[in-house]
Amino acid sequence: MNAPRQRILQPVAGIPAPEIGLFLAQMDDQSRRLTEDTRGATVDELAWQPRAGMNTIGMLLAHNAIVEVFWISHAAVIPCDCPGVLGIGVDDDGMPIPEDGLPPGTLAGKDIAWFDDLRARARAFTYDWARRWTAKDLDRTITRQRADGEWTMNVRWILYHVLEHEAGHYGQVNLIRHQHRAAAAMAAGPRMATLAPHGAAG
Amino acid sequence: MSQTLTTRLETPAGYRSSEVARFIWQLDEQRRRLIEDTRGLTIAELEWQPAPGMNTIGMLLAHIAFAETHLGQVGLAGEAAGHAHEVIGISEEDEGLPLMAGAPPPPALMGKDLAFFDDALESARAHTHRVAKPLADEDLLTEIVRPPRPDGTRRVFNKGWVLYHMLEHEAGHHAQINLLRHLRRSTMGGA
Repeated sequence: MNAPRQRILQPVAGIPAPEIGLFLAQMDDQSRRLTEDTRGATVDELAWQPRAGMNTIGMLLAHNAIVEVFWISHAAVIPCDCPGVLGIGVDDDGMPIPEDGLPPGTLAGKDIAWFDDLRARARAFTYDWARRWTAKDLDRTITRQRADGEWTMNVRWILYHVLEHEAGHYGQVNLIRHQHRAAAAMAAGPRMATLAPHGAAG
Repeated sequence: MSQTLTTRLETPAGYRSSEVARFIWQLDEQRRRLIEDTRGLTIAELEWQPAPGMNTIGMLLAHIAFAETHLGQVGLAGEAAGHAHEVIGISEEDEGLPLMAGAPPPPALMGKDLAFFDDALESARAHTHRVAKPLADEDLLTEIVRPPRPDGTRRVFNKGWVLYHMLEHEAGHHAQINLLRHLRRSTMGGA
């Protein structure tokens, strides 16, 4: 009989606020699955664009890392230093991509190990701050100035947003991998298209 | 005109557990955005398939409703078997996931309009609210052991994981729906 598949959600140990530890456990589960589902993605696949003006898998992976550092910096009330934390700038994911735009040159030729490292750096940054925060920080509010006014959010919402943001783009990565397989099978001929492996999502 | 936007993750009233209530807030926030992002979808858009063997937006909406209800039944309520179709009127076969390689969308969803999917989603969420309200903090740690699957795989999860999975599952498919809308606009030239 196969070993049981355990899916037990509990707060990450060593984090002062259990609720923050619970958010981290969820983020780490997303990252684990995203890592699993991107194994074998080649440089060409990471840079593959379904159509001009659409995101590549590489752009989405970079975007997840940048957005995590951006929002955690915001929760920590410090300037966002993407170059310092990630080694790339806040706009280097190329998003939002212009209509009919191509992927950014900053990501050209990058392999999956490079994107793995980017995501690991972002998560380490989040852990660094999560270890400093207490339960009181979850209710702390922060105000951002926008062109059209002010946006006030609490730290609890920021942690939720980092989680759901990663989950959303992870779903899109799976869909693009499926599209890429379908496109490759179509290019190989009708018989191969029928035999294209079915993805977990998309 | 200057405006103030406030986005606080809060603890809705009416739940025995504050932790559960905050999961519900997150689920309801996802749903609010999903509903916003799907306004105006026509039947043709709901049925559009990028390539044979790939999901349509209608399939994903039906799948979100089905999966949520099934998880609520076997995961949160601890029922031995799911019966989601009794709550949302859609069976697992109807929603069509996972779709076979090269397959068209399932016939059960043909011709269904957005109101049909809205109704299924609303019924699913009402069910989730109902089964989540009596849960206590300690229930989040309660483990559920599911019967083995045909391939012998056994699944063990706790109720906290079920609530998290409902959230990330909807978030992932919501983002796929947005991508499919973009792809269709790009493919059809905005038609």
